[in-house]
Amino acid sequence: MSTETDTRNPLVRDGAESTGLVAAGAVALAALLFALSLAALFQQLSLTDTLAGVPVSTFLGGALVVLGGAVVVFGVGSRLGYVETEPQASAGMVAGIAFGFVWFVAGGLVASQTIGVGTIGWLLSAIFVGGGVFAVSVVTREDIGSTLPAGVLTAFVGLVFVTGVIGPSWVWNLGWEQQASFTAGFTIPTLTLFSSLLSGWAAAKAYGGFGARGRHTGAYTLVYLNAVSIVGVLFILLAFTVYKGIGGVLNGFAVGAGVGPTSTVVLFGIAFSFDWPVYLPFVMNGVGLMNEFNGVLPAIVGTIWLVVGAVLFAVPLGVGAAIFLTEYAERGRFTQAVEVATNGLWSTPSIVFGLFGFAFLIPRFGNGKSLLAGMLTLGFMLLPLVVITSREAMLSVPDEYRDASAALGVTKWQTIRSVVLPAALPGVVTGIILGVGRIAGETAPILLTMAGGVFVPGSQTPDIVGGFAFTSSPPFVENPVLLDAASALPYQLYALITAGVGASGNVANPDEFKWATALVLLVVVLSFYAIGIAARYYFRRELNQ
Amino acid sequence: MAQATNRVESSVETAARTVRRVRDSLEDEEPEAVAVAGVVVASLLFALVGFLLVSSLTILPFAVFVISAGYGWVRHQELTAKVLALATTVSTILILLLITVFIIVEAVPVVRYESVTVFGVSIPGVRMFIQPNWDAVSPPIRFSMVPMIHGTVMVTIIATAVAAPLGVAAALFLSEIAPAPVREAVKPGVEILAGIPSIVYGFIGFTILSPWASDQFDILGQGTYLFVGIVVGLMALPTVVSVAEDALSSVPESMKSGSLAMGTTDWQTMISITLPAAFSGVSAAVLLGVGRAIGETMAATVMLRGVPKLTEPLYNAFYGQETLTSLIARNYGEADGLQLSALFMAGVILFITVMFLSIGSQYVEARMRSKLGGEQ
Repeated sequence: MSTETDTRNPLVRDGAESTGLVAAGAVALAALLFALSLAALFQQLSLTDTLAGVPVSTFLGGALVVLGGAVVVFGVGSRLGYVETEPQASAGMVAGIAFGFVWFVAGGLVASQTIGVGTIGWLLSAIFVGGGVFAVSVVTREDIGSTLPAGVLTAFVGLVFVTGVIGPSWVWNLGWEQQASFTAGFTIPTLTLFSSLLSGWAAAKAYGGFGARGRHTGAYTLVYLNAVSIVGVLFILLAFTVYKGIGGVLNGFAVGAGVGPTSTVVLFGIAFSFDWPVYLPFVMNGVGLMNEFNGVLPAIVGTIWLVVGAVLFAVPLGVGAAIFLTEYAERGRFTQAVEVATNGLWSTPSIVFGLFGFAFLIPRFGNGKSLLAGMLTLGFMLLPLVVITSREAMLSVPDEYRDASAALGVTKWQTIRSVVLPAALPGVVTGIILGVGRIAGETAPILLTMAGGVFVPGSQTPDIVGGFAFTSSPPFVENPVLLDAASALPYQLYALITAGVGASGNVANPDEFKWATALVLLVVVLSFYAIGIAARYYFRRELNQ
Repeated sequence: MAQATNRVESSVETAARTVRRVRDSLEDEEPEAVAVAGVVVASLLFALVGFLLVSSLTILPFAVFVISAGYGWVRHQELTAKVLALATTVSTILILLLITVFIIVEAVPVVRYESVTVFGVSIPGVRMFIQPNWDAVSPPIRFSMVPMIHGTVMVTIIATAVAAPLGVAAALFLSEIAPAPVREAVKPGVEILAGIPSIVYGFIGFTILSPWASDQFDILGQGTYLFVGIVVGLMALPTVVSVAEDALSSVPESMKSGSLAMGTTDWQTMISITLPAAFSGVSAAVLLGVGRAIGETMAATVMLRGVPKLTEPLYNAFYGQETLTSLIARNYGEADGLQLSALFMAGVILFITVMFLSIGSQYVEARMRSKLGGEQ
């Protein structure tokens, strides 16, 4: 069928293909410019370098002129009927306002900075230019209205670069009391970035042949670009931290029988000690004068105990509250109020929890910052999330389960224990793991309640199990370890950053130490997330089978 | 008048009915079970009072609680479980109340100190908001919140400008556009973005972005609201994405297919059906994102200058002085007396603002649910 049509109209087909090529080429050129301007923005590409024999700024300008020209040519060609498209009567209000605003800014800047007219002058010319472009894009047919403003602006920016009005040594001092200027190093890449986005969108729209399909193509291009950028930022953040930190973490790394530190495990009264077959000093040592390699073991152990304490506090409370709210309480004002309160508690800033711990817990635990206060503060933070996720999981257990169980004549609690809780368990566990990931990386609450040192010696590794002792006066049980200040990874990173350049302890390369700490923190926190996400997938697959 | 009396009567009636119901249900239980439950509740109350009074004897009622709860669990599991579940619910509410009470009480001294007398009437706390000087050391000692509120507003505006459009677009992508395998890959990515600790963002911002920005914009020193706002916006992004995605995917499939059957493109359906239907849910997502941005602490603390002053001119985003959160994190160490109280005042402002945002977004979400008439 389609081959038949093609053989009948070879001329039209060829024409459609080559004009489509113009639009597709413009999209590709826009993508290239987008990438180049990012490289220039992050100084991977200097503006004074040469590219294809010309300076980078001139090259970018030339490419922008070509891009803008292609977009305009395509739009005009479509209007004059050389290109087969399905444009609507107008580019629409949204596009009109956006173009009008962009041109308003451009007109105002040119009038005030380049021509140098006064406030009234630039305001008038900005309104004139912006209003004119708004009218053009709204009144004319869509193929002109959505290409001309974008293409002309892009070509104009390109001309500004090519003629050197904005060259590599251009600076615009804003003249504010607190000094700030736009330099060429920022302005040229940013303008290129913006123009390439604008023209790229117009070109994608043109490639789709305007109309509903063209809008679809143009919008999808931007939405896909946005998704790719978010994932790209994530990837760059992780890769950069790994790249900077891996050296510090692997310092003195060794594998082999007996290279690691000796651990002793006591089982049924029999002491059994073994040497670790791997030695990773950064996570197995503290900081010490005699250490060949320094590390952050105390902070890692502190973080683990913090998380354990917070979970022990928050999970029973939260799950209990969720059981009461879903199974016992009637749905009404009360449950609604608790729901609003827990949601509000969950969005409360972490530093407010820190203040609360500072005012409420510290006077009650020996008036000093302590591990216990940190645990409880993080527990308070975790509690609302446990309530919310457990409640969601329990609500999603079908009522038929409960009815079937009740029909067997068992009591309500037995139903909850043997039907509702097992069915809700996957959701509860996943929620808790993800919540733990969040609190493990929190700095602000423990800043006020737990603190710790900058470079922590290995002797300060908290040993809670061994710290318990009985006393003759109330409260009869004491554990000095719980009441001591301890370090945790996020706090230690904060302390390292704020300690400045002077404080180096015994650490030979503080910078490397910082990045390595950041990497270990990232690994600890993200492994919670990885476990949580994997658990969710696993449970979902199990349920679907 | 008569109405008021009626209302009182009806509320008395409700209370009486509740008491009667509780008594009825208790009469069904064995007397021993009721006694054990009574001991559990009483000992827990005593433990709470002891803890609030900072008594070292707190451990005694707590021990009684543990023993009686253990006994009840073995002998009368049904009632004990119910009582314990009730106790956990009450403690959850109690924690929220305690937070509110404690931070407000600690903020009272500075509110008293910063009173202004107008026409012989003393209005407490006003001076914190009508003049811009913060000076904790040399007289006149003033604790103005204005510079920090300005900083928080600047950072929040920039962060919202980053997080709202990108977040909503990403949510559209995830819920409507992306093919299943891509969604399965991108969604955990967004969650991991939420998982990166704020101090790591702050560290990267401090070591990489701040020096770069100083260089690019010819700024004296380091620290700009602009880049703190961008980093905070990146951190608020995942919140916006996940809440907005929930809202978008809760739009009934029948509405979308109805539109598609009219011959519209996917994008037209999204713009004219899905987004308007989910509008309140999407705005709730943005509100929650704003809440996250306001409360973000560590990145702001590490990247800002820590000078409680306004920028010159006010819209100069290239200089970053101090936000409400970073003020607390930076000064809690050496602060005491009035200054400490002023830090709690900053906490109160944050707490109330974010609470309002949270309640507002929940209200908007509830309205959307009832409008769409879903089963929830």
